[in-house]
Amino acid sequence: MENSFDEKILEEAHDWVKANQKVVLATVIQTWGSSPRPTGSRMIVNENGDFSGSVSGGCVESTVVRECIGIIKDNKPFKKIEFKVSNESAWEVGLACGGEIAVYIEQVI
Amino acid sequence: MKKKLLEQIIKKKNNKSEFAIITNLKTGDSEIFEVGKPINKDFKKYTDQINSFYKNKKNGVIEDTNIFIETYIRPIKVIIVGAVHIAQYLINYAKSLNFEIIVIDPRGYFATEQRFPGMKIINKWPDEAFKEMETNSNTALIALTHDPKIDDPALQHALNKKFYYIGALGSKKTHANRIERLKESGFNEHEINSIHGPIGIKLGGKSAPEIALSIIAQLVSETYKE
Repeated sequence: MENSFDEKILEEAHDWVKANQKVVLATVIQTWGSSPRPTGSRMIVNENGDFSGSVSGGCVESTVVRECIGIIKDNKPFKKIEFKVSNESAWEVGLACGGEIAVYIEQVI
Repeated sequence: MKKKLLEQIIKKKNNKSEFAIITNLKTGDSEIFEVGKPINKDFKKYTDQINSFYKNKKNGVIEDTNIFIETYIRPIKVIIVGAVHIAQYLINYAKSLNFEIIVIDPRGYFATEQRFPGMKIINKWPDEAFKEMETNSNTALIALTHDPKIDDPALQHALNKKFYYIGALGSKKTHANRIERLKESGFNEHEINSIHGPIGIKLGGKSAPEIALSIIAQLVSETYKE
Protein backbone atom coordinates (compact mmCIF):
# COMPACT_ATOMS: atom_id res chain seq x y z
CA MET A 1 0.00 0.00 0.00
CA GLU A 2 1.03 3.62 -0.33
CA ASN A 3 1.40 5.96 2.57
CA SER A 4 2.59 9.56 2.38
CA PHE A 5 6.35 9.99 2.85
CA ASP A 6 6.19 12.54 5.59
CA GLU A 7 8.49 12.96 8.56
CA LYS A 8 6.65 16.04 9.82
CA ILE A 9 9.72 18.28 9.57
CA LEU A 10 7.64 21.12 8.11
CA GLU A 11 5.57 21.16 11.31
CA GLU A 12 8.77 21.65 13.24
CA ALA A 13 9.89 24.36 10.82
CA HIS A 14 6.59 26.10 11.44
CA ASP A 15 7.21 25.97 15.21
CA TRP A 16 10.68 27.45 14.74
CA VAL A 17 9.30 30.24 12.56
CA LYS A 18 6.67 31.01 15.18
CA ALA A 19 9.50 31.26 17.71
CA ASN A 20 11.04 33.99 15.50
CA GLN A 21 13.94 31.90 14.32
CA LYS A 22 15.41 32.18 10.85
CA VAL A 23 14.73 28.84 9.22
CA VAL A 24 16.19 27.18 6.13
CA LEU A 25 14.55 24.09 4.62
CA ALA A 26 16.93 21.60 3.02
CA THR A 27 15.24 19.03 0.80
CA VAL A 28 16.61 16.07 -1.15
CA ILE A 29 15.33 16.79 -4.66
CA GLN A 30 17.25 14.20 -6.70
CA THR A 31 19.17 11.03 -6.02
CA TRP A 32 21.40 8.82 -8.19
CA GLY A 33 22.75 5.41 -7.23
CA SER A 34 22.46 4.15 -3.69
CA SER A 35 21.79 7.32 -1.78
CA PRO A 36 20.90 6.91 1.86
CA ARG A 37 17.65 8.89 1.92
CA PRO A 38 14.81 9.15 -0.63
CA THR A 39 13.71 12.23 -2.54
CA GLY A 40 11.62 14.48 -0.33
CA SER A 41 13.73 13.81 2.78
CA ARG A 42 14.25 17.02 4.63
CA MET A 43 16.12 18.78 7.37
CA ILE A 44 15.77 22.25 8.80
CA VAL A 45 18.48 24.57 10.05
CA ASN A 46 18.29 27.83 11.98
CA GLU A 47 20.68 30.76 12.13
CA ASN A 48 22.51 29.21 15.10
CA GLY A 49 23.17 26.00 13.24
CA ASP A 50 20.62 23.98 15.23
CA PHE A 51 19.17 21.36 12.94
CA SER A 52 16.51 18.66 12.82
CA GLY A 53 15.69 15.93 10.30
CA SER A 54 18.15 14.57 7.74
CA VAL A 55 19.11 14.52 4.06
CA SER A 56 21.60 11.64 4.28
CA GLY A 57 22.71 9.18 6.89
CA GLY A 58 24.88 11.78 8.56
CA CYS A 59 27.36 12.00 5.64
CA VAL A 60 26.64 15.51 4.37
CA GLU A 61 24.62 17.12 7.15
CA SER A 62 27.50 19.26 8.45
CA THR A 63 28.03 20.79 5.00
CA VAL A 64 24.32 21.39 4.57
CA VAL A 65 24.19 23.18 7.93
CA ARG A 66 27.13 25.39 6.86
CA GLU A 67 25.49 26.18 3.53
CA CYS A 68 22.18 26.99 5.21
CA ILE A 69 23.82 29.41 7.65
CA GLY A 70 25.63 30.83 4.62
CA ILE A 71 22.47 31.76 2.73
CA ILE A 72 21.02 33.38 5.86
CA LYS A 73 24.20 35.50 6.24
CA ASP A 74 24.37 36.37 2.54
CA ASN A 75 20.65 37.05 2.46
CA LYS A 76 20.17 34.65 -0.43
CA PRO A 77 16.73 33.09 -0.76
CA PHE A 78 17.75 29.65 -2.08
CA LYS A 79 20.55 27.48 -3.46
CA LYS A 80 21.05 24.06 -4.97
CA ILE A 81 23.89 21.86 -3.72
CA GLU A 82 25.07 18.61 -5.28
CA PHE A 83 26.98 15.91 -3.46
CA LYS A 84 28.90 13.48 -5.62
CA VAL A 85 30.75 10.24 -5.00
CA SER A 86 33.05 10.65 -2.06
CA ASN A 87 36.49 12.18 -2.59
CA GLU A 88 39.50 12.54 -0.31
CA SER A 89 37.47 14.45 2.26
CA ALA A 90 34.91 11.66 2.29
CA TRP A 91 34.96 11.43 6.04
CA GLU A 92 33.42 14.86 6.06
CA VAL A 93 31.39 15.65 2.95
CA GLY A 94 31.19 12.78 0.48
CA LEU A 95 28.60 10.04 0.46
CA ALA A 96 30.45 6.97 1.63
CA CYS A 97 27.95 4.73 -0.15
CA GLY A 98 28.92 6.15 -3.54
CA GLY A 99 25.54 7.64 -4.34
CA GLU A 100 24.83 11.19 -5.42
CA ILE A 101 22.22 13.58 -4.15
CA ALA A 102 21.02 17.08 -4.94
CA VAL A 103 19.77 19.16 -2.04
CA TYR A 104 17.74 22.33 -2.45
CA ILE A 105 18.02 24.77 0.41
CA GLU A 106 15.61 27.66 0.82
CA GLN A 107 14.94 30.26 3.47
CA VAL A 108 11.49 30.60 4.98
CA ILE A 109 10.86 34.28 4.41
CA MET B 1 9.41 29.45 0.76
CA LYS B 2 7.08 32.14 2.04
CA LYS B 3 5.95 31.94 5.65
CA LYS B 4 2.38 32.18 4.46
CA LEU B 5 2.79 29.16 2.21
CA LEU B 6 4.30 27.17 5.09
CA GLU B 7 1.24 28.04 7.18
CA GLN B 8 -1.09 26.94 4.39
CA ILE B 9 0.78 23.65 4.04
CA ILE B 10 0.52 22.93 7.77
CA LYS B 11 -3.18 23.69 7.65
CA LYS B 12 -3.74 21.34 4.71
CA LYS B 13 -1.79 18.61 6.44
CA ASN B 14 -3.83 19.04 9.62
CA ASN B 15 -7.00 18.75 7.54
CA LYS B 16 -5.63 15.53 5.97
CA SER B 17 -5.93 17.05 2.49
CA GLU B 18 -4.24 15.63 -0.59
CA PHE B 19 -1.99 18.14 -2.36
CA ALA B 20 1.49 18.75 -3.67
CA ILE B 21 4.09 21.46 -3.18
CA ILE B 22 5.60 22.59 -6.46
CA THR B 23 8.83 24.57 -6.52
CA ASN B 24 10.64 26.30 -9.36
CA LEU B 25 14.28 25.64 -8.50
CA LYS B 26 15.45 28.46 -10.80
CA THR B 27 13.31 31.24 -9.34
CA GLY B 28 12.65 29.86 -5.85
CA ASP B 29 8.90 30.29 -6.30
CA SER B 30 6.71 27.64 -4.77
CA GLU B 31 3.01 27.02 -4.37
CA ILE B 32 0.38 24.44 -3.53
CA PHE B 33 -1.00 22.21 -6.25
CA GLU B 34 -4.41 20.62 -5.90
CA VAL B 35 -6.35 18.66 -8.50
CA GLY B 36 -8.71 20.92 -10.39
CA LYS B 37 -7.41 24.18 -8.88
CA PRO B 38 -5.63 26.80 -11.00
CA ILE B 39 -1.85 27.24 -10.71
CA ASN B 40 0.44 30.12 -11.64
CA LYS B 41 1.33 30.58 -15.29
CA ASP B 42 4.98 29.69 -14.58
CA PHE B 43 3.87 26.22 -13.54
CA LYS B 44 0.90 25.92 -15.86
CA LYS B 45 2.83 24.59 -18.83
CA TYR B 46 3.95 21.62 -16.71
CA THR B 47 0.42 20.70 -15.66
CA ASP B 48 0.50 17.28 -17.36
CA GLN B 49 3.82 16.29 -15.80
CA ILE B 50 2.77 17.58 -12.38
CA ASN B 51 -0.44 15.57 -12.62
CA SER B 52 1.49 12.46 -13.53
CA PHE B 53 3.84 12.79 -10.53
CA TYR B 54 0.85 13.52 -8.35
CA LYS B 55 -1.10 10.47 -9.54
CA ASN B 56 1.89 8.22 -8.94
CA LYS B 57 2.43 9.77 -5.50
CA LYS B 58 5.99 10.55 -6.45
CA ASN B 59 8.45 13.19 -5.27
CA GLY B 60 11.06 14.49 -7.68
CA VAL B 61 12.25 16.89 -10.34
CA ILE B 62 10.29 16.77 -13.60
CA GLU B 63 12.69 15.62 -16.31
CA ASP B 64 14.50 18.42 -18.20
CA THR B 65 12.89 21.12 -16.06
CA ASN B 66 13.59 23.01 -12.87
CA ILE B 67 10.31 21.99 -11.31
CA PHE B 68 10.38 19.97 -8.08
CA ILE B 69 7.20 18.34 -6.87
CA GLU B 70 6.49 16.90 -3.45
CA THR B 71 3.19 15.04 -3.00
CA TYR B 72 1.13 14.62 0.12
CA ILE B 73 -1.53 11.94 0.23
CA ARG B 74 -4.06 11.31 2.92
CA PRO B 75 -2.42 9.29 5.69
CA ILE B 76 -3.78 5.79 6.36
CA LYS B 77 -6.61 5.74 8.86
CA VAL B 78 -6.07 3.53 11.89
CA ILE B 79 -9.03 2.92 14.16
CA ILE B 80 -8.31 1.80 17.68
CA VAL B 81 -11.25 0.31 19.57
CA GLY B 82 -10.64 0.54 23.28
CA ALA B 83 -9.13 3.58 24.98
CA VAL B 84 -7.07 1.26 27.17
CA HIS B 85 -3.53 1.37 28.56
CA ILE B 86 -1.98 -0.20 25.41
CA ALA B 87 -3.79 2.39 23.27
CA GLN B 88 -1.97 5.20 25.05
CA TYR B 89 1.39 3.74 24.02
CA LEU B 90 0.17 2.88 20.52
CA ILE B 91 -0.76 6.50 19.98
CA ASN B 92 2.65 7.66 21.14
CA TYR B 93 4.40 5.37 18.66
CA ALA B 94 1.96 6.18 15.86
CA LYS B 95 2.45 9.94 16.29
CA SER B 96 5.76 9.84 14.48
CA LEU B 97 4.51 7.32 11.91
CA ASN B 98 2.14 9.36 9.80
CA PHE B 99 -1.09 7.49 10.47
CA GLU B 100 -4.40 9.16 11.17
CA ILE B 101 -5.49 7.69 14.49
CA ILE B 102 -9.08 7.55 15.71
CA VAL B 103 -9.98 6.02 19.07
CA ILE B 104 -13.42 4.57 19.72
CA ASP B 105 -14.63 3.61 23.17
CA PRO B 106 -18.21 3.78 24.46
CA ARG B 107 -16.95 3.69 28.03
CA GLY B 108 -16.69 7.31 29.10
CA TYR B 109 -14.27 6.64 31.94
CA PHE B 110 -11.67 5.26 29.50
CA ALA B 111 -12.16 7.71 26.66
CA THR B 112 -11.17 10.88 28.48
CA GLU B 113 -9.24 13.91 27.25
CA GLN B 114 -7.01 13.61 30.30
CA ARG B 115 -5.91 10.11 29.24
CA PHE B 116 -5.64 11.00 25.54
CA PRO B 117 -4.76 14.69 25.27
CA GLY B 118 -5.45 16.20 21.87
CA MET B 119 -6.68 12.91 20.38
CA LYS B 120 -9.76 12.31 18.29
CA ILE B 121 -11.84 10.08 20.57
CA ILE B 122 -15.32 8.91 19.66
CA ASN B 123 -17.22 8.12 22.83
CA LYS B 124 -19.77 5.83 21.15
CA TRP B 125 -20.42 2.17 20.38
CA PRO B 126 -18.51 1.06 17.27
CA ASP B 127 -21.68 0.68 15.14
CA GLU B 128 -22.61 4.29 15.83
CA ALA B 129 -19.04 5.55 15.51
CA PHE B 130 -18.51 3.94 12.08
CA LYS B 131 -21.54 5.81 10.73
CA GLU B 132 -19.57 9.04 11.18
CA MET B 133 -16.51 8.08 9.17
CA GLU B 134 -15.48 6.78 5.81
CA THR B 135 -13.72 3.44 5.94
CA ASN B 136 -12.42 1.21 3.15
CA SER B 137 -9.69 -1.24 2.22
CA ASN B 138 -7.10 1.41 3.12
CA THR B 139 -8.24 1.44 6.74
CA ALA B 140 -6.81 -0.52 9.66
CA LEU B 141 -8.51 -1.71 12.84
CA ILE B 142 -6.88 -2.48 16.17
CA ALA B 143 -9.42 -3.95 18.58
CA LEU B 144 -8.16 -3.80 22.14
CA THR B 145 -11.07 -4.24 24.56
CA HIS B 146 -11.34 -8.09 24.22
CA ASP B 147 -14.95 -7.50 25.22
CA PRO B 148 -17.14 -9.12 22.54
CA LYS B 149 -19.83 -6.47 23.02
CA ILE B 150 -17.42 -3.77 21.88
CA ASP B 151 -14.85 -5.56 19.70
CA ASP B 152 -17.14 -7.87 17.70
CA PRO B 153 -19.24 -5.20 15.96
CA ALA B 154 -16.01 -3.37 15.04
CA LEU B 155 -14.42 -6.56 13.69
CA GLN B 156 -17.53 -7.34 11.65
CA HIS B 157 -17.53 -3.86 10.17
CA ALA B 158 -13.82 -4.17 9.33
CA LEU B 159 -14.33 -7.58 7.68
CA ASN B 160 -17.29 -6.31 5.66
CA LYS B 161 -15.32 -3.28 4.49
CA LYS B 162 -12.21 -5.40 3.82
CA PHE B 163 -9.81 -3.38 5.98
CA TYR B 164 -6.22 -4.15 4.97
CA TYR B 165 -5.24 -4.77 8.57
CA ILE B 166 -7.42 -6.15 11.34
CA GLY B 167 -5.91 -7.07 14.66
CA ALA B 168 -7.63 -8.18 17.84
CA LEU B 169 -6.10 -8.37 21.31
CA GLY B 170 -6.74 -11.45 23.42
CA SER B 171 -5.27 -14.82 24.32
CA LYS B 172 -5.43 -17.84 22.02
CA LYS B 173 -8.50 -18.99 23.93
CA THR B 174 -10.20 -15.61 23.63
CA HIS B 175 -9.44 -15.62 19.94
CA ALA B 176 -10.78 -19.17 19.47
CA ASN B 177 -14.07 -18.07 21.05
CA ARG B 178 -14.08 -15.01 18.84
CA ILE B 179 -13.64 -17.16 15.74
CA GLU B 180 -16.64 -19.27 16.76
CA ARG B 181 -18.83 -16.18 17.18
CA LEU B 182 -17.76 -14.80 13.80
CA LYS B 183 -18.48 -18.14 12.13
CA GLU B 184 -21.95 -18.09 13.64
CA SER B 185 -22.39 -14.58 12.24
CA GLY B 186 -21.72 -15.97 8.76
CA PHE B 187 -18.08 -15.03 8.10
CA ASN B 188 -16.06 -17.60 6.19
CA GLU B 189 -12.70 -19.05 7.13
CA HIS B 190 -10.76 -16.87 4.71
CA GLU B 191 -12.26 -13.71 6.17
CA ILE B 192 -11.72 -14.85 9.73
CA ASN B 193 -8.11 -15.81 9.00
CA SER B 194 -7.42 -12.26 7.87
CA ILE B 195 -7.73 -11.17 11.50
CA HIS B 196 -4.41 -10.99 13.31
CA GLY B 197 -5.19 -12.67 16.60
CA PRO B 198 -3.55 -12.83 19.01
CA ILE B 199 -2.44 -9.42 17.76
CA GLY B 200 1.14 -8.28 17.13
CA ILE B 201 4.42 -9.80 16.02
CA LYS B 202 6.26 -12.03 18.46
CA LEU B 203 8.56 -9.85 20.53
CA GLY B 204 8.14 -11.61 23.82
CA GLY B 205 7.36 -8.60 26.00
CA LYS B 206 4.41 -8.41 28.35
CA SER B 207 4.25 -4.75 29.34
CA ALA B 208 1.78 -2.36 27.72
CA PRO B 209 4.47 -0.44 25.77
CA GLU B 210 6.02 -3.71 24.59
CA ILE B 211 2.68 -5.04 23.36
CA ALA B 212 1.97 -1.70 21.70
CA LEU B 213 5.35 -1.93 19.94
CA SER B 214 4.58 -5.44 18.66
CA ILE B 215 1.22 -4.23 17.32
CA ILE B 216 2.63 -1.16 15.61
CA ALA B 217 5.41 -3.27 14.05
CA GLN B 218 2.80 -5.64 12.59
CA LEU B 219 0.70 -2.73 11.35
CA VAL B 220 3.65 -1.13 9.52
CA SER B 221 4.73 -4.47 8.08
CA GLU B 222 1.23 -5.16 6.75
CA THR B 223 0.99 -1.63 5.35
CA TYR B 224 3.97 -2.14 3.07
CA LYS B 225 3.45 -5.84 2.33
CA GLU B 226 3.69 -6.47 -1.42
